[in-house]
Amino acid sequence: MKSPTGAPDDQGLQQLMRNRLTRRGFMRAAGVGAAGISLASVLPACGSETSGPSQEPSQVFSGEPEGQVEFANWPVYIDKAKDPDTGESYIPSLRMFEEETGATVTYKQVIQENASFFSKIQPNLQAGQPTGWDIVVFTNGWEFAALVANDWVVTLDTTKRPTFDRYAEPFAADPPFDPGAKHSMAYQSGLTGIGVNTQLVDAEITTLDDLADPAKLPPDSVGMIKADMPDLVMINLGIDPLTSGPDEWNAAADWLRMQRDTGLVRQYYEQGYVDDFTAGNIAATMAWSGDVLYYQLWGGYPNLEWIFPEGGAFLWTDNMMIPTGAAHPVSALQLMDFFYRPDVATMVQEWVFYMSPCSATQEQILADADAAEAEGSKGYADKLRATAENPYLFPSDELLANASFGRQLENDDEKAEWDSIFEPISEGG
Amino acid sequence: MATAVHPRHGSRPHGIERRRRRVAYGLLGPGGGWLVLFFLVPVVIMAYTSLKSGGVMAGGFTFTWEFGNYGTALAGRQEFLLRSLTFAILTTAGTVLLAYPAVYWIAFHGGRWKSTFLFMILLPYFVSFMIRTVQWKFILGDNGPVLTFVKDLGLVSDDFHILATAGAVVGGLIYNYLPFAALPLFVALDRIDPALVEGAQDLYATPAAAFRKIVFPLSMPGIFAATLLTFVPATGDYVEAEILGSPSTKMIGNIIQTEFLGRARYPVAAALATVLMLTMVILTSIYAKVLGTEDETLSAARV
Repeated sequence: MKSPTGAPDDQGLQQLMRNRLTRRGFMRAAGVGAAGISLASVLPACGSETSGPSQEPSQVFSGEPEGQVEFANWPVYIDKAKDPDTGESYIPSLRMFEEETGATVTYKQVIQENASFFSKIQPNLQAGQPTGWDIVVFTNGWEFAALVANDWVVTLDTTKRPTFDRYAEPFAADPPFDPGAKHSMAYQSGLTGIGVNTQLVDAEITTLDDLADPAKLPPDSVGMIKADMPDLVMINLGIDPLTSGPDEWNAAADWLRMQRDTGLVRQYYEQGYVDDFTAGNIAATMAWSGDVLYYQLWGGYPNLEWIFPEGGAFLWTDNMMIPTGAAHPVSALQLMDFFYRPDVATMVQEWVFYMSPCSATQEQILADADAAEAEGSKGYADKLRATAENPYLFPSDELLANASFGRQLENDDEKAEWDSIFEPISEGG
Repeated sequence: MATAVHPRHGSRPHGIERRRRRVAYGLLGPGGGWLVLFFLVPVVIMAYTSLKSGGVMAGGFTFTWEFGNYGTALAGRQEFLLRSLTFAILTTAGTVLLAYPAVYWIAFHGGRWKSTFLFMILLPYFVSFMIRTVQWKFILGDNGPVLTFVKDLGLVSDDFHILATAGAVVGGLIYNYLPFAALPLFVALDRIDPALVEGAQDLYATPAAAFRKIVFPLSMPGIFAATLLTFVPATGDYVEAEILGSPSTKMIGNIIQTEFLGRARYPVAAALATVLMLTMVILTSIYAKVLGTEDETLSAARV
């Protein structure tokens, strides 16, 4: 939107392209076929079965920039504009990086879901072979933990990210799942809370308990997000997920079973809740802040509302990491640091509607709004202002204090126990 | 009938025979290579993976002859296997019942528009499978065009819904697998010489009897192919259940997906997939033995 073409008529195209595709709601996820995934993931595994060697950051990052970056990211998760001369769409932030550094960035929107992308690169990493990517983006979760625990991502040279040191928000500078951000740098963060379709719900929804209250919601009208629900439920039970153990997990599972037995839950979603939510098939749902905010502010669904649950919200971060064996680590780290420049971070945030890990984007967006108004695009300026003033895109410290990251599972036994407690819920057990 | 002498009985030199054989094997090459590369190798890898042990956090999985994966995979999963088979049988019956009359009409009464009508059956399938399936969420949505209309007429109660039911899943499966039944049925019906039906009627057979005694038996290879082509993939399908279903309509494919992605137990997922494949091989073999003859299997292959 801060593109050279930044004229309002470009917005129409941009919105059209985004309309049905928000990054998290992207539906291809489930579809493309586990068969394909499993084949791709096991083929390289037939070779050697050793873990890659751990590499010293000073060695990995000692050379000159390689001039190339292979970047794997989620769909519709970066800025976009249309070149006025060629008519082709391009990514302004990356073009800027290319112009300033002379590097070439190959940007591929190949990550539909953490677990499936992990399963694709895992055999290579286990066999000590390069994945072909220099930057991959994973949400903090077991995939993240496995990548770090097995040295499948390189330890970053923390002396080579000056922009990050200057602008990183506290939640990005020292996240609990990666102290000191030694292996990762936040790309965007978001909150999991409650989405409500105000056309379909008369009752006031303020807490997660309302999603289990038959007096407030009709049968089969509630959506739950499978991967996030254990942590969000714990937070709303007053449990700190970070220090939780099997007893607390069972308490959360009991709540989830109670909720299921009310007959309110329509589906436990891997990804695609947004389709059902916008179509009006679910009245209230666990929801990601950026999805709902986009549809409400920009997508033409003023009836959708995102609510920060009274008991607290679940905070997560999508993190850029460099897989072990990456061919261009120096340029990759350079690009990761580049995303922390306030002007660049603003370009991205005005597109994706999640929390930027870079402080100082708010003023930039307001400045863009003033600029847009001066150009005569009042409507666009108002939308930018609404974006900049949104408390969930720029959460106050007080709000953030009421949000928590999820439990980081440390090893396979923990993960097996966690899964044995929570997986049966969505399988009817 | 030509009365050519079979080469084996003639006094042709051996060299030609050998060259013939080479050509035969050469022709088999591309297809055989395809099967080896895209069927045999993946199946072996799947079986190999199913015997690994380890964990994603502990460096990954290594081959250890871990037969215990099969026990883990099957524990408590019979329900899902049974549901998948039930859904697949309903799907197969539904597609054949829907497709048969339509392609029958096209084959016998389509005239010069035959290929146009057939194309019309296939036309929706030019759109991506995922997009077609997701669109049902909007068409059949609780507040979508169909249900709003029906509810306005007062035909159903206000909280009636189609999505998130077993009916929606089976309906989605029938919709998506229809061409897999329609095409082989059409080929089988189209090959029937109309003169045979006329002959039957000349011999005082009623139209129903002509259908029962002539058309239906001659279309058996098509039915056999149609049922196999829908039943086998429908059993393993998990997309419809994921998109159009609810937690109580999960199929075995969804469980394999959960094992693979959710629990990241790749060997257990591979074991479950192997069991599913073996189950299908056994079931279709029994089916071929009971309902089809070897001749029909070959005819089906010809279809």
